[in-house]
Order: sequence, then structure tokens, then C-alpha cells
Amino acid sequence: MANRRDLVKRRKAVRNIRKITRTMQMIATARFQAALNRAVATKPYSEKLAELVKDLARGAGGIDHPLMRTVEGVDRKALVVLTSNRGFCGGFNANVLRAAAGLIDGHEGDVDVHMVGKKGVNYFNYNKREMAAETTDIEEKPRFDQVEPIANELIDRFIQGEIASAHVAFMRFHSAGRQTAEILQLLPLTATAADSDASTPASTSVEYEFSPAPEALLDDLLPASVRTQLFQCFTDSAVSEQVARMVAMKAATDAAGDMIKTLTRQYNRARQTSITMELLDIIGGATALA
Amino acid sequence: MANPKAFSVSVVTPEEAVIERDDASMVIVPAHDGEIGVMRGHAPILLRLGIGALRVELADGKKQTYYVDGGFAQMVDNRLTVLTEQAKDPAELDAAAAKEAWEQIRNEPIADERAARRRHDAMQRAQVQRRMARAQSSGSIG
Repeated sequence: MANRRDLVKRRKAVRNIRKITRTMQMIATARFQAALNRAVATKPYSEKLAELVKDLARGAGGIDHPLMRTVEGVDRKALVVLTSNRGFCGGFNANVLRAAAGLIDGHEGDVDVHMVGKKGVNYFNYNKREMAAETTDIEEKPRFDQVEPIANELIDRFIQGEIASAHVAFMRFHSAGRQTAEILQLLPLTATAADSDASTPASTSVEYEFSPAPEALLDDLLPASVRTQLFQCFTDSAVSEQVARMVAMKAATDAAGDMIKTLTRQYNRARQTSITMELLDIIGGATALA
Repeated sequence: MANPKAFSVSVVTPEEAVIERDDASMVIVPAHDGEIGVMRGHAPILLRLGIGALRVELADGKKQTYYVDGGFAQMVDNRLTVLTEQAKDPAELDAAAAKEAWEQIRNEPIADERAARRRHDAMQRAQVQRRMARAQSSGSIG
């Protein structure tokens, strides 16, 4: 029966797809581990940097830095959107892009979008949204020297008063079970960490010998912390991408398994039906002869 | 501590911890205004780094050198922490490429003060890289 052969064919196809999705799931799992390790490796640097900023804030007696001031009379924002270069990762890109679009549509002035990742570029092109810049050569292992120029450009433009603020839309990695699309304000730097600690004496209130003066050191430290923040967004996004792909491929593998079960059942039923029909035929023939 | 003259040193970049030891005997830090040697018991300092070679001498006499491009160094409680955006093994440096970069920068016009500073930094970068790469290949480090 033709139907039976069709079922066998379909089952074979689904089985092949399951093989592929399972492999992709395993690859994503391995990459996730590597990406997570890289993300964790960025922590010591940023923590130490934050500590230095606090120490300096105490040394300089509070911070008043161009990077922390709000710019008046400008309503242009800059937004860096981190998406993936590849698909098959469930709602990863869609969620980030929705968050980004929300910010763009909700803001009355202009928003300069710097899109990272082919998926985001394609989406914005398709929707005829404008992008100020595109980056598609950052793979799943973001390197600091790839991220640095993006951050430096934002800092320059902020200091020159071209943009009122800079944001990053990306997928924050909380745990293997939870990632959320988030918009982080990069500039102006939020003073919370530095302010609260300038007043409260920390446990190690050491008298440092500064070289150069604390104010001059801050000039270097604050941009460095902006760059690090952006870099962490990139590594977070890379981890989240792999998790999303892992989950999506697990779901696909499971769905393929279910489908194979259904198809097997249909095939068995079809086979039983054809056997019964044949038997009926034979019995019918025998009774007619008798 | 086993060695009374040892102190701990860690060099951290945004990507990884390059070195993390607690048996350093002396570290020479390329500060923004010249090199500074740090040994156990040094007063708390907070420095901005320039472009140059970071030399770590371990208690067993071994030396390690890194090419460092900017960053910060903090010494407190006999813990030296170097934060830098770039810490390279001198073996990764390319003398020929550095020389080429230097020639190229030298011919760049100086438009304004910013460009002049950038040119100066880039030239210094190329120079230090070249010197360190050559020292590395000839076997004499430091």
C-alpha cells in the first residue's frame, strides 16, 4: 500500500532530522561550557576595577566626571544591539530585537543603532529600520580588542555631546535556566556603586600613593570600566545564545521523537489494516468456492 | 609564608587571569612615567600604566615578561594586582610587523593635538613591541 511506504519514508526523514538536532544540541552544550568559562573569567577584572574606582572616589573625595554627567539639550541616543550570527536558537534574537525595538519606538528623538550579529541586521533590513552601523564578524568568542573600538566610539561621542546616553540591548545570562532580554545603560555611568561607597568607609581604607593624581587616574579608569561593561555584555550574550540553542535543539529532538512514535503507530495500524483486508479477501474467496 | 621575601602578584585582563602567583620576589611595573620596581613591603600604590614590559621575578629565580599596553597597578597588603586590557607574551610579538607599523605611523600627518598624542602612543607601542620581540628572539629577556 502506497500509504504505508509514505509513512516509512517520513519516519526515516524525521529520524535523520532528530540525529541532526541532537548533534547540534551536543555541540551547543560543549560551546556553552566554553562560553560560560570565558564569561566567568571576565569577573575578576571587572570586580577589581570597581574596587579601584571606589578607592579612587575616596581619594578624590567623590566623583564628578564627564562620563557621569547627563547631557542637556540632546535627545539622540545610541543603542548597541547584540544578536547572534546564526539561527536555530529559539527566541534568542526575537527577544533581544523586541526589547531594542521597544526602546527605539518609545524614544522621541533619534536612536543610532549599532547592530551586532547577522540575524539582527537581517531583521532590521527586512523591517526597513535604520542602522547607523553593523558588525557581523564577532563570533561566539568575543575578544576584547573587537569590543574595545565600539566602546571607545560611544565614549568619544558621549563626551563630545553628540549623544545623550548609550545603551546595550542584550540577553543577560542569570543561570542556565533563566536569561532575560535587557537594556543596560552604559552612559552616562550610573553613580550608585561609587557614590554609596565614597561616604561609607570600606573595610580596607588604605592611604594610597597615587600616580598620577586620583582625578587623572579616574579619567582612565572610568572609560576602562565602560569598556569592560560592554565586553561583559558580549560574553553574557554569547553564553545566552548557546543556552538558547541548547534548549531549542533539545525541544526539536524531543518533538522529533514524539513524531517518530506517532508515525510508527500509524504505520503499524496501516499494516494491520492491510493484513486484515487480505485475510478477509482470502476468507471471502474460500467461502465463495465452498 | 615559606619565603619571607615573597609576595603575591596577579595580572588580570578582561579575558582571563594571565598570571596568579604568590611567590614573586620582584615585579617591575611599567608605570605611565617610568618603571617602578615593587618588592615585598612596598607602600600601597595605585598607578596608571604606560606601554612597556612587565617583568615578574619569581622566588625560584625564574623570570616572566609580558608586553603591557596601559592599565592600572595596585599594591596593597603585599598583593600586587595589575589590571590591563592587553598583556601579551613577547613570543607573540612580531618585530617586522612592529617596524612596518612604526614606519607607517611616522609618515602620518599631525593634524591636531589629539592626532599628535595618538601618533606618539602608536609610535611608542611599535617601538616597545619591536624591542621586546627582538630581545625575545635573541634570548636575552629583560
